[in-house]
Amino acid sequence: MKLCDFCQKNEASITVTRVDKDGKSTELHLCAKCASQKGIGDIVKPHLSIVEILAELKAKIKDEDRKLVCPNCKLSYADFKRFGRLGCGVCYEAFAPRLLPLIKRMHGSVKHIGRKPAVGQKVAEIKFEVKRLRDELKKAIAAEDYEKAAQIRDRIKQVEESKDRQ
Amino acid sequence: MIAKWLDSSGAQSDVVISNRLRLARNLKGFPFAIKTTKSDQERIITLVNYALEDLNRLKTGRFLTQHELTPLVIQSLLERHLISPDFAVCKQQRAVFINNDETESLMINEEDHIRYQVLASGLDFKTSLARINDFDDQMAKEVEFAYSEELGFLTACPSNVGTGLRASVLVHLPGLVLTKEIEKVLRGILQIGLAVRGLYGEGTETKGNFFQVSNQQSLGRSETEIVEVIEKAVRQIINYERKARDYLYRNARIEIEDKIYRAQAILQNARIITSEEAINLLAVLRFGVTLGVISDISLKTINELLILTKPASLQLYYHKEMAPEERDEKRATLLRTRLGRKVDKSE
Repeated sequence: MKLCDFCQKNEASITVTRVDKDGKSTELHLCAKCASQKGIGDIVKPHLSIVEILAELKAKIKDEDRKLVCPNCKLSYADFKRFGRLGCGVCYEAFAPRLLPLIKRMHGSVKHIGRKPAVGQKVAEIKFEVKRLRDELKKAIAAEDYEKAAQIRDRIKQVEESKDRQ
Repeated sequence: MIAKWLDSSGAQSDVVISNRLRLARNLKGFPFAIKTTKSDQERIITLVNYALEDLNRLKTGRFLTQHELTPLVIQSLLERHLISPDFAVCKQQRAVFINNDETESLMINEEDHIRYQVLASGLDFKTSLARINDFDDQMAKEVEFAYSEELGFLTACPSNVGTGLRASVLVHLPGLVLTKEIEKVLRGILQIGLAVRGLYGEGTETKGNFFQVSNQQSLGRSETEIVEVIEKAVRQIINYERKARDYLYRNARIEIEDKIYRAQAILQNARIITSEEAINLLAVLRFGVTLGVISDISLKTINELLILTKPASLQLYYHKEMAPEERDEKRATLLRTRLGRKVDKSE
Protein backbone atom coordinates (compact mmCIF):
# COMPACT_ATOMS: atom_id res chain seq x y z
CA MET A 1 0.00 0.00 0.00
CA LYS A 2 1.35 3.38 -0.94
CA LEU A 3 0.54 6.32 1.30
CA CYS A 4 -0.60 9.70 0.09
CA ASP A 5 2.35 12.08 -0.41
CA PHE A 6 0.46 14.89 1.33
CA CYS A 7 -1.32 13.53 4.38
CA GLN A 8 0.82 10.39 4.75
CA LYS A 9 -2.26 8.75 6.28
CA ASN A 10 -4.60 7.45 3.60
CA GLU A 11 -3.89 5.08 0.78
CA ALA A 12 -2.92 6.86 -2.44
CA SER A 13 -5.37 6.13 -5.23
CA ILE A 14 -4.51 8.83 -7.74
CA THR A 15 -1.22 9.37 -9.52
CA VAL A 16 -0.53 12.76 -10.98
CA THR A 17 2.35 13.28 -13.38
CA ARG A 18 3.71 16.80 -13.47
CA VAL A 19 5.77 17.88 -16.44
CA ASP A 20 7.84 21.05 -16.01
CA LYS A 21 9.08 23.41 -18.72
CA ASP A 22 12.23 21.36 -19.36
CA GLY A 23 10.18 18.25 -19.91
CA LYS A 24 11.21 16.71 -16.58
CA SER A 25 8.38 14.77 -15.00
CA THR A 26 7.67 14.06 -11.34
CA GLU A 27 5.03 11.74 -9.98
CA LEU A 28 2.73 12.52 -7.06
CA HIS A 29 0.64 9.93 -5.29
CA LEU A 30 -2.48 11.28 -3.62
CA CYS A 31 -5.46 9.96 -1.75
CA ALA A 32 -8.90 10.89 -3.06
CA LYS A 33 -9.47 13.37 -0.20
CA CYS A 34 -6.27 15.36 -0.73
CA ALA A 35 -6.70 15.24 -4.49
CA SER A 36 -10.15 16.76 -4.29
CA GLN A 37 -8.96 19.38 -1.75
CA LYS A 38 -6.29 20.43 -4.21
CA GLY A 39 -8.78 20.47 -7.05
CA ILE A 40 -6.96 17.62 -8.74
CA GLY A 41 -9.82 15.14 -8.47
CA ASP A 42 -11.79 17.22 -10.94
CA ILE A 43 -9.18 17.07 -13.65
CA VAL A 44 -8.65 13.35 -13.38
CA LYS A 45 -10.79 12.04 -16.20
CA PRO A 46 -12.19 8.53 -16.50
CA HIS A 47 -9.83 6.34 -18.50
CA LEU A 48 -12.66 4.64 -20.32
CA SER A 49 -15.28 6.27 -22.49
CA ILE A 50 -18.92 5.77 -21.56
CA VAL A 51 -19.40 3.37 -24.45
CA GLU A 52 -16.49 1.29 -23.16
CA ILE A 53 -17.85 1.31 -19.61
CA LEU A 54 -21.17 -0.05 -20.91
CA ALA A 55 -19.42 -2.71 -22.98
CA GLU A 56 -17.40 -3.74 -19.93
CA LEU A 57 -20.63 -4.29 -17.92
CA LYS A 58 -21.94 -6.77 -20.44
CA ALA A 59 -18.90 -8.96 -20.00
CA LYS A 60 -19.27 -9.31 -16.23
CA ILE A 61 -22.76 -10.60 -15.45
CA LYS A 62 -22.87 -12.43 -12.11
CA ASP A 63 -25.49 -14.61 -10.41
CA GLU A 64 -26.29 -11.97 -7.83
CA ASP A 65 -27.14 -9.56 -10.67
CA ARG A 66 -30.07 -11.79 -11.60
CA LYS A 67 -31.48 -11.61 -8.06
CA LEU A 68 -31.53 -7.81 -7.97
CA VAL A 69 -34.87 -6.90 -9.57
CA CYS A 70 -36.68 -3.54 -9.90
CA PRO A 71 -39.98 -3.78 -7.97
CA ASN A 72 -41.74 -1.57 -10.52
CA CYS A 73 -40.80 -2.86 -13.97
CA LYS A 74 -39.21 -6.20 -12.96
CA LEU A 75 -36.00 -5.58 -14.86
CA SER A 76 -33.09 -7.40 -13.25
CA TYR A 77 -29.68 -5.83 -12.81
CA ALA A 78 -28.34 -8.59 -15.04
CA ASP A 79 -30.71 -7.41 -17.80
CA PHE A 80 -29.50 -3.87 -17.30
CA LYS A 81 -25.93 -5.06 -17.72
CA ARG A 82 -26.88 -6.99 -20.83
CA PHE A 83 -28.83 -4.21 -22.57
CA GLY A 84 -27.12 -1.20 -21.04
CA ARG A 85 -30.59 0.27 -20.59
CA LEU A 86 -32.83 0.65 -17.55
CA GLY A 87 -36.51 -0.33 -17.53
CA CYS A 88 -38.07 2.63 -15.72
CA GLY A 89 -37.38 5.59 -13.44
CA VAL A 90 -37.71 3.41 -10.33
CA CYS A 91 -34.71 1.30 -11.49
CA TYR A 92 -32.49 4.23 -10.48
CA GLU A 93 -33.58 3.79 -6.84
CA ALA A 94 -33.82 0.00 -6.93
CA PHE A 95 -30.27 -0.37 -8.27
CA ALA A 96 -28.82 2.67 -6.49
CA PRO A 97 -26.02 0.92 -4.54
CA ARG A 98 -24.71 -0.65 -7.77
CA LEU A 99 -25.70 2.09 -10.17
CA LEU A 100 -24.41 5.17 -8.37
CA PRO A 101 -20.73 4.13 -8.49
CA LEU A 102 -21.21 3.41 -12.20
CA ILE A 103 -22.81 6.82 -12.77
CA LYS A 104 -19.95 8.39 -10.84
CA ARG A 105 -17.48 6.69 -13.18
CA MET A 106 -19.36 7.86 -16.23
CA HIS A 107 -20.00 11.45 -15.23
CA GLY A 108 -17.56 12.12 -12.42
CA SER A 109 -20.56 13.15 -10.33
CA VAL A 110 -23.84 11.87 -8.90
CA LYS A 111 -25.48 15.23 -8.34
CA HIS A 112 -27.64 17.04 -10.89
CA ILE A 113 -27.00 20.77 -11.00
CA GLY A 114 -28.70 21.57 -14.28
CA ARG A 115 -32.18 22.79 -15.10
CA LYS A 116 -35.33 21.61 -13.36
CA PRO A 117 -38.61 20.85 -15.12
CA ALA A 118 -40.85 23.91 -15.41
CA VAL A 119 -43.93 23.98 -13.18
CA GLY A 120 -47.25 23.93 -14.98
CA GLN A 121 -50.63 22.30 -15.31
CA LYS A 122 -49.70 19.37 -17.67
CA VAL A 123 -52.23 20.40 -20.32
CA ALA A 124 -51.67 17.45 -22.66
CA GLU A 125 -52.13 14.92 -19.86
CA ILE A 126 -55.43 16.49 -18.82
CA LYS A 127 -56.62 16.51 -22.41
CA PHE A 128 -55.62 12.87 -22.77
CA GLU A 129 -57.45 11.88 -19.60
CA VAL A 130 -60.61 13.80 -20.55
CA LYS A 131 -60.66 12.15 -23.95
CA ARG A 132 -60.23 8.72 -22.39
CA LEU A 133 -63.09 9.39 -19.96
CA ARG A 134 -65.36 10.65 -22.74
CA ASP A 135 -64.81 7.41 -24.65
CA GLU A 136 -65.74 5.50 -21.50
CA LEU A 137 -68.80 7.69 -21.06
CA LYS A 138 -69.97 6.89 -24.58
CA LYS A 139 -69.58 3.20 -23.88
CA ALA A 140 -71.49 3.46 -20.59
CA ILE A 141 -74.34 5.31 -22.28
CA ALA A 142 -74.45 2.79 -25.13
CA ALA A 143 -74.68 0.03 -22.53
CA GLU A 144 -77.43 2.02 -20.76
CA ASP A 145 -75.39 1.97 -17.55
CA TYR A 146 -76.54 5.40 -16.44
CA GLU A 147 -75.17 5.14 -12.93
CA LYS A 148 -71.69 4.58 -14.27
CA ALA A 149 -72.20 7.33 -16.86
CA ALA A 150 -73.04 9.81 -14.11
CA GLN A 151 -69.89 8.83 -12.20
CA ILE A 152 -67.76 9.31 -15.27
CA ARG A 153 -69.37 12.68 -15.97
CA ASP A 154 -68.46 13.81 -12.45
CA ARG A 155 -64.92 12.60 -12.96
CA ILE A 156 -64.62 14.54 -16.23
CA LYS A 157 -65.83 17.65 -14.44
CA GLN A 158 -63.24 17.12 -11.73
CA VAL A 159 -60.37 16.69 -14.19
CA GLU A 160 -61.42 19.76 -16.17
CA GLU A 161 -61.74 21.83 -13.02
CA SER A 162 -58.28 20.82 -11.89
CA LYS A 163 -57.08 22.32 -15.14
CA ASP A 164 -58.89 25.63 -14.50
CA ARG A 165 -57.64 25.84 -10.92
CA GLN A 166 -54.04 25.72 -11.96
CA MET B 1 -35.59 23.21 -50.24
CA ILE B 2 -32.35 23.36 -48.34
CA ALA B 3 -32.43 22.81 -44.58
CA LYS B 4 -31.66 26.04 -42.75
CA TRP B 5 -28.80 24.54 -40.75
CA LEU B 6 -26.91 23.70 -43.94
CA ASP B 7 -26.86 27.23 -45.33
CA SER B 8 -23.42 27.98 -43.86
CA SER B 9 -24.64 31.35 -42.55
CA GLY B 10 -23.27 30.60 -39.08
CA ALA B 11 -20.00 31.55 -37.48
CA GLN B 12 -16.75 29.73 -38.43
CA SER B 13 -18.46 27.98 -41.32
CA ASP B 14 -15.11 27.36 -43.04
CA VAL B 15 -14.56 24.61 -40.46
CA VAL B 16 -17.88 24.16 -38.66
CA ILE B 17 -20.84 22.81 -40.60
CA SER B 18 -23.37 22.80 -37.80
CA ASN B 19 -24.04 22.59 -34.11
CA ARG B 20 -26.64 20.33 -32.59
CA LEU B 21 -28.22 20.09 -29.17
CA ARG B 22 -30.27 17.10 -28.14
CA LEU B 23 -32.42 16.59 -25.05
CA ALA B 24 -33.49 13.18 -23.76
CA ARG B 25 -36.73 13.17 -21.79
CA ASN B 26 -39.05 10.47 -20.48
CA LEU B 27 -42.66 10.73 -19.37
CA LYS B 28 -43.42 9.98 -15.75
CA GLY B 29 -45.76 7.03 -15.25
CA PHE B 30 -44.50 5.03 -18.23
CA PRO B 31 -41.69 2.47 -18.25
CA PHE B 32 -38.67 3.18 -20.46
CA ALA B 33 -38.47 1.85 -24.01
CA ILE B 34 -37.33 -1.74 -23.35
CA LYS B 35 -40.26 -2.26 -20.95
CA THR B 36 -43.02 -0.43 -22.83
CA THR B 37 -45.91 -2.33 -24.39
CA LYS B 38 -47.31 -1.45 -27.78
CA SER B 39 -50.21 0.28 -26.04
CA ASP B 40 -47.78 2.33 -23.87
CA GLN B 41 -45.97 3.37 -27.01
CA GLU B 42 -49.18 4.45 -28.70
CA ARG B 43 -50.26 6.41 -25.64
CA ILE B 44 -46.90 8.18 -25.51
CA ILE B 45 -47.24 9.16 -29.17
CA THR B 46 -50.76 10.52 -28.55
CA LEU B 47 -49.66 12.46 -25.47
CA VAL B 48 -46.73 14.09 -27.25
CA ASN B 49 -48.96 14.82 -30.23
CA TYR B 50 -51.45 16.60 -27.95
CA ALA B 51 -48.60 18.55 -26.40
CA LEU B 52 -47.26 19.68 -29.78
CA GLU B 53 -50.76 20.57 -30.89
CA ASP B 54 -51.34 22.64 -27.77
CA LEU B 55 -48.03 24.42 -28.35
CA ASN B 56 -49.10 25.23 -31.91
CA ARG B 57 -46.16 23.28 -33.26
CA LEU B 58 -48.05 21.00 -35.60
CA LYS B 59 -48.81 23.87 -37.98
CA THR B 60 -45.11 24.63 -38.33
CA GLY B 61 -43.99 21.20 -39.38
CA ARG B 62 -44.83 17.59 -40.11
CA PHE B 63 -45.80 14.90 -37.64
CA LEU B 64 -44.92 11.57 -39.26
CA THR B 65 -46.38 8.38 -37.82
CA GLN B 66 -45.68 4.71 -38.45
CA HIS B 67 -47.40 4.36 -41.83
CA GLU B 68 -45.75 7.49 -43.24
CA LEU B 69 -42.32 6.32 -42.15
CA THR B 70 -41.56 4.19 -45.19
CA PRO B 71 -38.02 2.80 -45.59
CA LEU B 72 -37.21 5.54 -48.11
CA VAL B 73 -38.47 8.35 -45.86
CA ILE B 74 -36.64 6.87 -42.85
CA GLN B 75 -33.41 6.69 -44.85
CA SER B 76 -33.71 10.26 -46.09
CA LEU B 77 -34.42 11.60 -42.58
CA LEU B 78 -31.32 9.79 -41.42
CA GLU B 79 -29.27 11.29 -44.25
CA ARG B 80 -30.50 14.74 -43.23
CA HIS B 81 -29.53 14.17 -39.57
CA LEU B 82 -33.17 14.50 -38.46
CA ILE B 83 -33.39 11.05 -36.89
CA SER B 84 -30.80 8.79 -35.31
CA PRO B 85 -29.52 5.46 -36.68
CA ASP B 86 -31.19 3.78 -33.66
CA PHE B 87 -34.54 5.33 -34.47
CA ALA B 88 -34.22 4.20 -38.08
CA VAL B 89 -34.07 0.55 -37.08
CA CYS B 90 -36.17 0.56 -33.92
CA LYS B 91 -39.04 -1.89 -33.74
CA GLN B 92 -41.26 0.24 -31.51
CA GLN B 93 -44.37 2.16 -32.48
CA ARG B 94 -42.69 5.44 -33.31
CA ALA B 95 -43.34 8.91 -34.62
CA VAL B 96 -41.25 11.95 -35.45
CA PHE B 97 -41.98 15.65 -35.65
CA ILE B 98 -39.90 17.79 -38.03
CA ASN B 99 -40.33 21.53 -38.34
CA ASN B 100 -40.52 23.20 -41.74
CA ASP B 101 -36.96 24.48 -42.01
CA GLU B 102 -35.60 21.20 -40.58
CA THR B 103 -33.80 22.88 -37.69
CA GLU B 104 -35.88 21.01 -35.15
CA SER B 105 -36.89 17.41 -34.78
CA LEU B 106 -38.51 15.33 -32.09
CA MET B 107 -38.33 11.55 -32.07
CA ILE B 108 -40.91 9.66 -30.05
CA ASN B 109 -40.09 6.19 -28.67
CA GLU B 110 -36.45 6.05 -29.57
CA GLU B 111 -34.29 4.95 -26.64
CA ASP B 112 -36.06 7.60 -24.56
CA HIS B 113 -39.71 8.60 -24.96
CA ILE B 114 -38.68 11.98 -26.29
CA ARG B 115 -35.50 12.93 -28.11
CA TYR B 116 -35.68 16.55 -29.13
CA GLN B 117 -32.96 18.24 -31.16
CA VAL B 118 -32.14 21.67 -32.47
CA LEU B 119 -29.74 22.03 -35.42
CA ALA B 120 -28.10 25.27 -36.49
CA SER B 121 -25.41 26.41 -38.86
CA GLY B 122 -21.98 27.29 -37.45
CA LEU B 123 -20.88 27.37 -33.83
CA ASP B 124 -23.60 29.54 -32.28
CA PHE B 125 -24.60 27.34 -29.33
CA LYS B 126 -26.12 30.24 -27.42
CA THR B 127 -29.10 30.60 -29.74
CA SER B 128 -29.56 26.83 -29.91
CA LEU B 129 -29.45 26.51 -26.12
CA ALA B 130 -32.05 29.26 -25.62
CA ARG B 131 -34.24 27.51 -28.14
CA ILE B 132 -33.97 24.06 -26.64
CA ASN B 133 -34.49 25.36 -23.08
CA ASP B 134 -37.58 27.24 -24.17
CA PHE B 135 -39.02 24.13 -25.76
CA ASP B 136 -38.18 22.09 -22.66
CA ASP B 137 -40.05 24.57 -20.44
CA GLN B 138 -43.06 24.56 -22.73
CA MET B 139 -43.17 20.76 -22.86
CA ALA B 140 -42.89 20.50 -19.07
CA LYS B 141 -46.19 22.38 -18.83
CA GLU B 142 -47.81 19.80 -21.09
CA VAL B 143 -46.49 16.52 -19.71
CA GLU B 144 -44.71 15.42 -16.56
CA PHE B 145 -41.13 14.31 -17.06
CA ALA B 146 -39.39 11.55 -15.11
CA TYR B 147 -37.14 13.60 -12.83
CA SER B 148 -35.35 13.24 -9.51
CA GLU B 149 -33.86 16.07 -7.44
CA GLU B 150 -30.63 14.11 -7.05
CA LEU B 151 -30.06 12.71 -10.53
CA GLY B 152 -32.02 15.15 -12.67
CA PHE B 153 -33.89 13.96 -15.75
CA LEU B 154 -34.04 10.17 -15.73
CA THR B 155 -33.06 8.45 -18.96
CA ALA B 156 -33.08 4.87 -20.23
CA CYS B 157 -29.28 4.80 -20.33
CA PRO B 158 -27.45 6.19 -17.29
CA SER B 159 -25.01 7.81 -19.70
CA ASN B 160 -27.61 10.51 -20.46
CA VAL B 161 -28.97 11.08 -16.97
CA GLY B 162 -28.94 14.56 -15.41
CA THR B 163 -29.37 17.25 -18.02
CA GLY B 164 -30.17 14.70 -20.75
CA LEU B 165 -28.20 17.06 -22.96
CA ARG B 166 -25.83 16.14 -25.74
CA ALA B 167 -24.13 18.94 -27.57
CA SER B 168 -22.26 18.21 -30.76
CA VAL B 169 -20.48 20.06 -33.49
CA LEU B 170 -19.94 18.79 -37.02
CA VAL B 171 -16.52 19.92 -38.23
CA HIS B 172 -14.61 19.52 -41.47
CA LEU B 173 -10.91 18.91 -40.87
CA PRO B 174 -9.14 18.22 -44.18
CA GLY B 175 -6.11 20.28 -43.16
CA LEU B 176 -5.45 18.30 -40.00
CA VAL B 177 -5.97 15.02 -41.86
CA LEU B 178 -3.55 15.97 -44.65
CA THR B 179 -0.87 17.24 -42.25
CA LYS B 180 -1.40 14.01 -40.24
CA GLU B 181 -1.98 16.01 -37.08
CA ILE B 182 -5.51 14.75 -36.71
CA GLU B 183 -4.61 11.85 -34.39
CA LYS B 184 -2.96 14.22 -31.96
CA VAL B 185 -5.88 16.64 -31.98
CA LEU B 186 -8.45 13.88 -31.56
CA ARG B 187 -6.50 12.40 -28.68
CA GLY B 188 -6.56 15.81 -27.01
CA ILE B 189 -10.34 15.94 -27.40
CA LEU B 190 -10.74 12.51 -25.81
CA GLN B 191 -8.48 13.54 -22.95
CA ILE B 192 -10.74 16.39 -21.90
CA GLY B 193 -13.64 13.94 -21.77
CA LEU B 194 -15.27 14.70 -25.10
CA ALA B 195 -16.12 12.13 -27.76
CA VAL B 196 -15.34 12.10 -31.49
CA ARG B 197 -17.51 10.27 -33.96
CA GLY B 198 -18.10 10.02 -37.68
CA LEU B 199 -20.62 11.95 -39.76
CA TYR B 200 -23.66 10.06 -38.53
CA GLY B 201 -22.77 9.55 -34.90
CA GLU B 202 -21.76 6.54 -32.91
CA GLY B 203 -19.94 3.84 -34.86
CA THR B 204 -20.07 5.59 -38.22
CA GLU B 205 -17.11 6.26 -40.48
CA THR B 206 -15.37 9.55 -40.82
CA LYS B 207 -16.01 9.92 -44.55
CA GLY B 208 -14.79 13.06 -46.27
CA ASN B 209 -12.86 14.14 -43.16
CA PHE B 210 -16.03 15.20 -41.36
CA PHE B 211 -16.01 14.66 -37.60
CA GLN B 212 -18.52 15.11 -34.82
CA VAL B 213 -17.31 16.34 -31.46
CA SER B 214 -19.67 15.89 -28.53
CA ASN B 215 -19.87 15.75 -24.75
CA GLN B 216 -20.03 12.44 -22.94
CA GLN B 217 -20.92 13.62 -19.45
CA SER B 218 -24.40 14.96 -18.88
CA LEU B 219 -24.53 14.99 -15.07
CA GLY B 220 -22.87 17.21 -12.48
CA ARG B 221 -22.57 20.25 -14.70
CA SER B 222 -25.04 22.78 -15.99
CA GLU B 223 -26.27 22.94 -19.57
CA THR B 224 -24.30 26.13 -20.09
CA GLU B 225 -21.10 24.51 -18.83
CA ILE B 226 -21.56 21.49 -21.09
CA VAL B 227 -21.93 23.73 -24.10
CA GLU B 228 -19.03 25.99 -23.10
CA VAL B 229 -16.59 23.09 -22.77
CA ILE B 230 -17.36 21.93 -26.31
CA GLU B 231 -17.35 25.42 -27.72
CA LYS B 232 -13.95 26.10 -26.21
CA ALA B 233 -12.53 22.83 -27.53
CA VAL B 234 -13.94 23.45 -30.99
CA ARG B 235 -12.49 26.98 -31.10
CA GLN B 236 -9.12 25.37 -30.39
CA ILE B 237 -9.69 22.82 -33.17
CA ILE B 238 -10.68 25.58 -35.58
CA ASN B 239 -7.40 27.33 -34.81
CA TYR B 240 -5.36 24.19 -35.46
CA GLU B 241 -7.30 23.45 -38.65
CA ARG B 242 -6.82 26.97 -40.02
CA LYS B 243 -3.10 26.80 -39.25
CA ALA B 244 -2.85 23.42 -40.98
CA ARG B 245 -4.67 24.74 -44.06
CA ASP B 246 -2.42 27.76 -44.12
CA TYR B 247 0.68 25.59 -43.78
CA LEU B 248 -0.45 23.29 -46.58
CA TYR B 249 -1.26 26.13 -48.90
CA ARG B 250 2.12 27.76 -48.31
CA ASN B 251 4.17 24.57 -48.57
CA ALA B 252 2.33 22.33 -50.98
CA ARG B 253 0.30 24.74 -53.05
CA ILE B 254 0.60 22.93 -56.38
CA GLU B 255 -0.28 19.53 -54.91
CA ILE B 256 -3.27 20.97 -53.02
CA GLU B 257 -4.55 22.90 -56.04
CA ASP B 258 -4.12 19.83 -58.19
CA LYS B 259 -6.21 17.76 -55.78
CA ILE B 260 -8.94 20.40 -55.68
CA TYR B 261 -9.13 21.02 -59.45
CA ARG B 262 -9.19 17.28 -60.13
CA ALA B 263 -12.11 16.90 -57.73
CA GLN B 264 -13.90 19.78 -59.41
CA ALA B 265 -13.25 18.34 -62.87
CA ILE B 266 -14.71 14.97 -61.93
CA LEU B 267 -17.73 16.48 -60.22
CA GLN B 268 -18.42 18.73 -63.22
CA ASN B 269 -17.92 16.08 -65.89
CA ALA B 270 -18.49 12.58 -64.63
CA ARG B 271 -21.43 10.60 -65.98
CA ILE B 272 -21.54 7.98 -63.23
CA ILE B 273 -20.72 8.69 -59.62
CA THR B 274 -21.31 6.68 -56.44
CA SER B 275 -22.47 8.27 -53.23
CA GLU B 276 -19.16 7.59 -51.53
CA GLU B 277 -17.14 9.14 -54.34
CA ALA B 278 -19.46 12.14 -54.29
CA ILE B 279 -18.99 12.82 -50.59
CA ASN B 280 -15.21 12.48 -50.83
CA LEU B 281 -14.94 14.80 -53.85
CA LEU B 282 -17.40 17.32 -52.44
CA ALA B 283 -15.32 17.38 -49.26
CA VAL B 284 -12.21 18.23 -51.33
CA LEU B 285 -14.17 20.89 -53.24
CA ARG B 286 -15.35 22.36 -49.92
CA PHE B 287 -11.70 22.55 -48.87
CA GLY B 288 -10.96 24.37 -52.13
CA VAL B 289 -13.70 26.95 -51.47
CA THR B 290 -12.46 27.66 -47.94
CA LEU B 291 -8.91 28.13 -49.26
CA GLY B 292 -10.17 30.53 -51.88
CA VAL B 293 -8.92 28.30 -54.73
CA ILE B 294 -12.51 27.88 -55.93
CA SER B 295 -14.47 31.11 -55.89
CA ASP B 296 -17.56 30.55 -58.02
CA ILE B 297 -19.15 27.83 -55.88
CA SER B 298 -20.66 28.55 -52.47
CA LEU B 299 -20.31 26.51 -49.29
CA LYS B 300 -24.08 26.48 -49.14
CA THR B 301 -24.28 24.69 -52.49
CA ILE B 302 -21.72 22.13 -51.39
CA ASN B 303 -23.38 21.51 -48.01
CA GLU B 304 -26.67 21.01 -49.79
CA LEU B 305 -25.16 18.59 -52.33
CA LEU B 306 -23.54 16.59 -49.54
CA ILE B 307 -27.06 15.67 -48.44
CA LEU B 308 -28.90 15.66 -51.79
CA THR B 309 -26.52 13.18 -53.38
CA LYS B 310 -27.18 10.56 -50.70
CA PRO B 311 -29.19 7.58 -51.97
CA ALA B 312 -32.61 8.21 -50.40
CA SER B 313 -32.49 12.00 -50.65
CA LEU B 314 -31.60 11.68 -54.32
CA GLN B 315 -34.60 9.46 -54.98
CA LEU B 316 -36.94 11.82 -53.15
CA TYR B 317 -35.44 14.73 -55.10
CA TYR B 318 -36.26 13.02 -58.40
CA HIS B 319 -39.57 11.72 -57.00
CA LYS B 320 -38.89 8.13 -57.96
CA GLU B 321 -37.37 4.96 -56.68
CA MET B 322 -34.18 4.06 -58.51
CA ALA B 323 -31.80 1.12 -58.63
CA PRO B 324 -28.19 1.89 -57.62
CA GLU B 325 -26.99 2.15 -61.27
CA GLU B 326 -29.65 4.68 -62.15
CA ARG B 327 -28.92 6.63 -58.96
CA ASP B 328 -25.22 6.89 -59.85
CA GLU B 329 -26.18 8.37 -63.21
CA LYS B 330 -28.73 10.82 -61.80
CA ARG B 331 -26.29 11.81 -59.08
CA ALA B 332 -23.70 12.73 -61.72
CA THR B 333 -26.32 14.74 -63.63
CA LEU B 334 -27.38 16.60 -60.49
CA LEU B 335 -23.76 17.40 -59.60
CA ARG B 336 -22.97 18.65 -63.14
CA THR B 337 -26.06 20.84 -63.15
CA ARG B 338 -25.52 22.32 -59.71
CA LEU B 339 -21.79 22.83 -60.03
CA GLY B 340 -21.94 24.97 -63.11
CA ARG B 341 -21.52 22.67 -66.10
CA LYS B 342 -24.32 22.78 -68.65
CA VAL B 343 -26.01 19.43 -69.15
CA ASP B 344 -25.34 17.81 -72.55
CA LYS B 345 -27.88 18.11 -75.33
CA SER B 346 -28.08 14.34 -75.49
CA GLU B 347 -29.73 14.32 -72.05
